[in-house]
Amino acid sequence: MRRGGVFVVLLVLALFLLGMPQGAVAKKPLKIGAVYILSGAFATYGQFARNGINLAVDEINAKGGILGRKVEVTFEDSKAKPAVAIRAFRKLVYEEKVDFLVGLDSSGVALGVVPTLPELKRILIITHAATPDVTGKKCNKYAFRISVNLNQNVGAGARIAAKTGAKRWTTIGPDYAFGHQSWEYFQKYLKKLVPDAVFMEKVAFPKLATEDYSTYITSIMDANPEGVFISLWGGDLVNFVRQANAYGFFKKGYKVLMSLGAATEVLYALKDKMPEGVWVGTRYWFLANPSPTNKRFVEAYKKRYNAYPSYNAQNAYTAIYALKAAIEKAKSTKTEAVIKALEGLRIEAPVGKIYIRPQDHQAILNVTWGKTAADPNYPIRILKPMVTFSGEEVTPSPEETGCKMK
Amino acid sequence: MMETLIITALNGLSLGTLLFLISMGLTTIFGVMGVLNFAHGSLYMLGAYMCLQAMRLFHNFWLGLLVAPLAVGLLGMAIEVQFLRKIYDRHLTLQLLLTFAFLLILDDAVRILWGAGYHTVDPPRLLAGTLKVLGRPYPVYSLFILVLGPAVGLALWAFFYRTKVGMIVRAAAMDREMASSLGVNVPKLFTYVFFFGSWLAGLGGALAAPLRAIGPAMGEKIIIESFIVVVIGGLGSFPGAFIGAMIFGLFDAFGIHFVPRIHMAIPFILLAAVLLWRPRGLFGEEI
Repeated sequence: MRRGGVFVVLLVLALFLLGMPQGAVAKKPLKIGAVYILSGAFATYGQFARNGINLAVDEINAKGGILGRKVEVTFEDSKAKPAVAIRAFRKLVYEEKVDFLVGLDSSGVALGVVPTLPELKRILIITHAATPDVTGKKCNKYAFRISVNLNQNVGAGARIAAKTGAKRWTTIGPDYAFGHQSWEYFQKYLKKLVPDAVFMEKVAFPKLATEDYSTYITSIMDANPEGVFISLWGGDLVNFVRQANAYGFFKKGYKVLMSLGAATEVLYALKDKMPEGVWVGTRYWFLANPSPTNKRFVEAYKKRYNAYPSYNAQNAYTAIYALKAAIEKAKSTKTEAVIKALEGLRIEAPVGKIYIRPQDHQAILNVTWGKTAADPNYPIRILKPMVTFSGEEVTPSPEETGCKMK
Repeated sequence: MMETLIITALNGLSLGTLLFLISMGLTTIFGVMGVLNFAHGSLYMLGAYMCLQAMRLFHNFWLGLLVAPLAVGLLGMAIEVQFLRKIYDRHLTLQLLLTFAFLLILDDAVRILWGAGYHTVDPPRLLAGTLKVLGRPYPVYSLFILVLGPAVGLALWAFFYRTKVGMIVRAAAMDREMASSLGVNVPKLFTYVFFFGSWLAGLGGALAAPLRAIGPAMGEKIIIESFIVVVIGGLGSFPGAFIGAMIFGLFDAFGIHFVPRIHMAIPFILLAAVLLWRPRGLFGEEI
């Protein structure tokens, strides 16, 4: 009888313990799923994002995590393909049971993934993909973007272009949504500023990951433009610049703008082969913001990875801190509560002050362009002069983006 | 206008020349051994990385150009001896799977060894500048490739058609069993042929290194282009690889210049046309 009683008590106790909210026993970690390009020609972007995320997570965990919970991140490869990325997100949510999502390098992938988020019921913070549509026509309440988008980057570029005095413009960009949209928005914004600007018939849209740009280069030189707007990025831009150097492209006196020319991975690959005096844009420039937050980030990043941080690293780093701020503001990790907290959130990031606009979930932040220059203190070209535009100036109003938040 | 046409033709021919070297390796391996080597593009990539490594160690491009193809050739040889040799008797799909596996392994290996970022190799000072062609600056390095490619092609032709070893290779390509019964050590020959094909891929990669950004998966595109070249020229045909590569290069360059909107489809239209009207390729043997 007594023995049976002890057994019952133990059983009740066990049931009680199991039934208790698990947080009370040992707080389970907060899980974040991250999807980036981790293989293939653009794998370097995934690596940067991973660097940024790991740095943020280690800093946060060393200070006790988020709401007392440790942060854990699981990475998946998007292979730059929408279908692969969608599968990766499903796996993260249904099998790994992650609480939040971050990621995405390619606009094409983002356009595929964003419409599937309502089915996953998870917040996704986009840190790289720049297509206006994911915080525009295709926006939904689960999708946020912490990074500079195409509108902002190209809008600032058009303001630079307007000041160069060049009137006849052409473009070289990758042959997919990003390249074509960059050119479309560039024309739209420049036309407003310089009504008599001419946009040439002769444009070049080489396929993504093209290796030989010779004929694109000679063809553009043949058409003799005054200004060239280049939206090639990553290895494509490295390839293009080296081959264009060989043809004397940069010595023809064209006004050249490269919307992602100030990406550190490109500058590190090219070093002194990047011509001086070319206008280059980026989504974060490590020397643009003199704030202590940025100094701390650049030092920590350089110490750990032995290079100056690329924009992709900063963006991913900032996404983790934005989640932390929103969760702490909401005092909850419930998706709906964190959405409310992210909307209108203001944080101080290495890139500067960020405000997440509630109407379309796009971050409003400073956008930097600059002219390439050599500096003996840096192994890469840096920006001199540097021009920073405020987010309010270069971001179209929520009505203009076409976003109807559901 | 005339200058533009000539410059465009030069661009096409220099692309064609590089493709020729790579396709030549692919087609030789197929012609002699009957193996379609999916890893060929990755060997090209490895050639570029080896050249990069040699530049870091010796600071001499010419040495890199010598060492990189040799290193890639030796790796190819090891792959043949250790893996391919064991499955010649099995079904063809197994060979495809095996070479595809090496494509994946090599792509990841370079990422682990050299990182995921982009690297560049400077051309030697002698070939760095530009030369005036018809009053326009043209890269000396592209002209160098234009000259070197046909020279290598000619040397290969002389080797295959004017030397005894070349004759043996051709004999083995024509009839493996007959060559074997005439006393040719076919397994050994295969190893050499695989070395040679890989060497050519490595040479292509080392030559491409000063032109192109070196990064993971840089072989993905070239392998598809090389396949198109050898199908157009005829699988296993040496002159076919040359003519096929030049046709590819020229169509690509003129396509970009005149019909940029559809130029990407051009190689595939060419491929489809050849498969429809002359499935064995321009120089292929009757199937």
